[in-house]
Amino acid sequence: MAAKFEPVLTRNVGKPEALTLKGYRQLGGYEGLAKALTMEPDAVIDEVKKSGLRGRGGAGFPAGMKWSFIPKGKDKPKYLVCNADESEPGTFKDRLLMENDPHQLIEGCAICCFAVSAATCYIYIRGEYTKSAVILERALKEAYDAGILGDNVLGSGFKLNMYVHRGAGAYICGEETGMLESLEGKRGQPRVKPPFPAVVGAFGAPTVINNVETLCNVPHIITRGADWFKSIGTDEKNTGPKLYAISGHVDRPGTYEHPIGITFREMLDAAGGMWHGRQLKAFIPGGASAPILKPDQIDLKMDFDTVAKAGSMLGSAAVIVMDETTCMVRSVARLSKFFNHESCGQCTPCREGTNWMELVLDRLEHGEGTERDSQLLLSICKNIGGQSLCALGDAAIGPVKSLVDRFPEEIEQHVRNRACPFPRPRYFENGA
Amino acid sequence: MPKVTINDRTVEVEAGTNVIDAGLKAGVLVPHYCYHPRLTVVGQCRMCLVEITDNGKKMPKLQTACSSYVTKDGWSVRTDTPEVAEAQKGMMEFFLINHPLDCPICDQAGECGLQDYSFKHGVAFSRFQYEDKRTYPGRERIPLGANVVLNMNRCIQCTRCIRFTEEVAGTGELGFFNRGARVEIGTFPGKELSNPLATCVVDICPVGALTSTRFRFAERVWYLDKKPSICTGCEVGCNITMEQRRGDIKRYKPRFNVEVNDYWMCDYGRSSFERYKKLPRLTSPRVRAEGGNGHAPVVSTGWSQALDAVHRGIAGAAGTGEIAFLGSGFLTTEEAFLFARLADLMGAKNRSVPVDLGPERTIPRYKRPPITGREAAPNRRGAELAGLAGGGDLLHGDGAARCAVLVVCDSDFGQAAYDPETVARLRRAKLLVVFGWSDSPLAQAADVALPVAHHGEKEGTFVNVEWRVQRFERAFPPTGQVRPALDVLSDLLSRFEAGWSQLSAATVFDRLASELPAFAGLSWHRLPATGAALHVPEAQPKLSDQGAETAREASQ
Repeated sequence: MAAKFEPVLTRNVGKPEALTLKGYRQLGGYEGLAKALTMEPDAVIDEVKKSGLRGRGGAGFPAGMKWSFIPKGKDKPKYLVCNADESEPGTFKDRLLMENDPHQLIEGCAICCFAVSAATCYIYIRGEYTKSAVILERALKEAYDAGILGDNVLGSGFKLNMYVHRGAGAYICGEETGMLESLEGKRGQPRVKPPFPAVVGAFGAPTVINNVETLCNVPHIITRGADWFKSIGTDEKNTGPKLYAISGHVDRPGTYEHPIGITFREMLDAAGGMWHGRQLKAFIPGGASAPILKPDQIDLKMDFDTVAKAGSMLGSAAVIVMDETTCMVRSVARLSKFFNHESCGQCTPCREGTNWMELVLDRLEHGEGTERDSQLLLSICKNIGGQSLCALGDAAIGPVKSLVDRFPEEIEQHVRNRACPFPRPRYFENGA
Repeated sequence: MPKVTINDRTVEVEAGTNVIDAGLKAGVLVPHYCYHPRLTVVGQCRMCLVEITDNGKKMPKLQTACSSYVTKDGWSVRTDTPEVAEAQKGMMEFFLINHPLDCPICDQAGECGLQDYSFKHGVAFSRFQYEDKRTYPGRERIPLGANVVLNMNRCIQCTRCIRFTEEVAGTGELGFFNRGARVEIGTFPGKELSNPLATCVVDICPVGALTSTRFRFAERVWYLDKKPSICTGCEVGCNITMEQRRGDIKRYKPRFNVEVNDYWMCDYGRSSFERYKKLPRLTSPRVRAEGGNGHAPVVSTGWSQALDAVHRGIAGAAGTGEIAFLGSGFLTTEEAFLFARLADLMGAKNRSVPVDLGPERTIPRYKRPPITGREAAPNRRGAELAGLAGGGDLLHGDGAARCAVLVVCDSDFGQAAYDPETVARLRRAKLLVVFGWSDSPLAQAADVALPVAHHGEKEGTFVNVEWRVQRFERAFPPTGQVRPALDVLSDLLSRFEAGWSQLSAATVFDRLASELPAFAGLSWHRLPATGAALHVPEAQPKLSDQGAETAREASQ
């Protein structure tokens, strides 16, 4: 790992000129696209494959491989859908990219479209991200006017149309097939897989779906090469720069760019350490759906495989830090409430299970639980895990399972005291 | 075709068959709620989870059988492993935690998917100990349309009804509203579930969330006696189960026949039994008393006197005038055959089968064009094939006035039987003999009225709009002095000619099969459950001329 890490994705953050096409070009923008257009589409895919870039949306699926699944041939149109429906609690990295460097995303999307021969790209943006949407729309218009998008991309003859599609504010529309349904104008709920979107996606046509951050990496891979990209990171499988959105009881919460695989301790230090010098009690390494880790994992390398090995997941790299005043039961109850609220309701385990978990956790938090509730929670988790239609069910059980497994003494305390032993923060007065 | 092994039973299935259907072929029922063979696979009830081993390699997670398609050899499926049983148990628990468990007052009890699978896969106690089950206050008895009532509390969100209205009925009135545990079924604003097939959603609802206004609180289903039958609402001939208790028909339910009505039937057809309850019933034979120059009152008699009177009248009329036979599209083919035989014996040329033309009834079918019926009677084709196609229009003009004898079978042949003018016209025959179950104005005007069984009380065959002959069973015996028309006709025929007494529908059918080329090779006992296509030269002959003229728009 380089001693001094030069930011890649966020290099233009804090430079207002990057918002305009002219400024972005002066900063070296659209060189990647221009270079890609001189290459064979397959060569672009190979370059991305070689770089080892993995999806930054949560699942960590190799991006190049995803692109190569798109069938060749011209019998059907192909689509790229950029997943900008960033709604995982604790995640706010894509927003930074869209609000500060919109052209970087457009360039990444354009390269991807060129590589898979897609003539249409939708940027499905979270409904609440008004500012991002406005900025992106403005950038799109500029790109169209400059001939970067449209019928003749940079004079290459490649045709590409790009649209910003605003969601209506549902977490489930961040699930790729739920997003496609929503994009098609239907009720946003996941489809049964297979067929996967690479075969039957938007409007029945092959579709690539990538996260904002993933696509923002692409121009840099093309300009600076796969080998440069691979030089950043822990190993062959975890390469490149990564945005970490750190929040909770830290001194300076925010989005930080680090080489992937930085340890949690280093990351915490970069964010100014614990808030008011408090003790670390727990942290969530990858957004609300990741199992909670204890302080003994403080030297954990924050990359996909190492975090998975530690019994959690890197997910969207939204790190939530909790200090010793945090009630874990209340925290998890709140997360469960979120998943219950955001479950689409079509499949049984998720619809009924998330609701039930919330009820049990709520009861525990209010001191009305029993000793058997831990077992009950585990059993509900088992009945949801791996049996729901999409990943939301699995996401919902992550925090609950880790609560029972890693913080059993807190549940016991709640049951024994018949009350929550932690002070109730004022901002939770409307119910946790 | 790929082979698949399900619980050690190997079957060969068409490539692309899903594991639920393959299981049915192998005799293994994979429990499921949301899957229906005619609707899109959505895989959302998660009840059909099974363990699949692909050429010795076990798939990492349990798979939904509905969305797992057998495309190649080497799949081995198990529905009986501890993991599968555990998953099914877990799913049943999820279904029941928020279910009101109001089986004692639920119409679905006894034929409920939740009850059945709870017995088979569930547990007998609940770990859900909250007073506040999720409920939908105010949505316990919401009429979605005229025929369907929704109780949201009982719903298990399988969305079969939504997919039915979208994909089969094509009207799309229903939708999923809200999210998560609060998700609910409803009609879109300003719409109501009023398409002609609406009540089918009640049939496909695996629980008691959707109930039919017609059947609500009518009967506990375990008291119902069910017999395979054919709907008489129109000429489509939808296969149904006639469900009754002690001779009181409670409902018609569609019976699967891929050639005719698939899984569906229309709401009008479902209501067609109601006239058996609504209209006055002819209960005993009636004969006009002697003397009085034809103005003497009709009096109730026994069957032998009544049949003697008919015999005397017909035999005495030979030579004094025309004898005419007016059949009906509600006769079974066998009855029509005997009726025509009687006409043959009398040398009567004037025979016809008038039917009403009603609104079109269309049933969508799987991989076939939809089937449409216009005539408001099930068997005009069968009756005409059996020999009732002749000529002559008795319903209009003064044809009846020239008749020495007019025999009508039956008294409910169409709207005309209730029309005073037509009745008066038919009444001008010297002797008017009417068979029928309904004491219609026509029956009341008759010199001899003979009470015969209605559709539920007799067995026989109907020939539908596509010339498919289909058999139906007697659901319950007629009561009192009522006899099946077949019985009465064979009694009457044997007074003219030997060899006709004590005939059953089976013997008559076999006889007509040997005489009529259209039915060649068919036999009552070997007639397939789905019916058999007849050998009719022109695939789609037109409605016979006098039929078209006499037909009138049915008011229903």
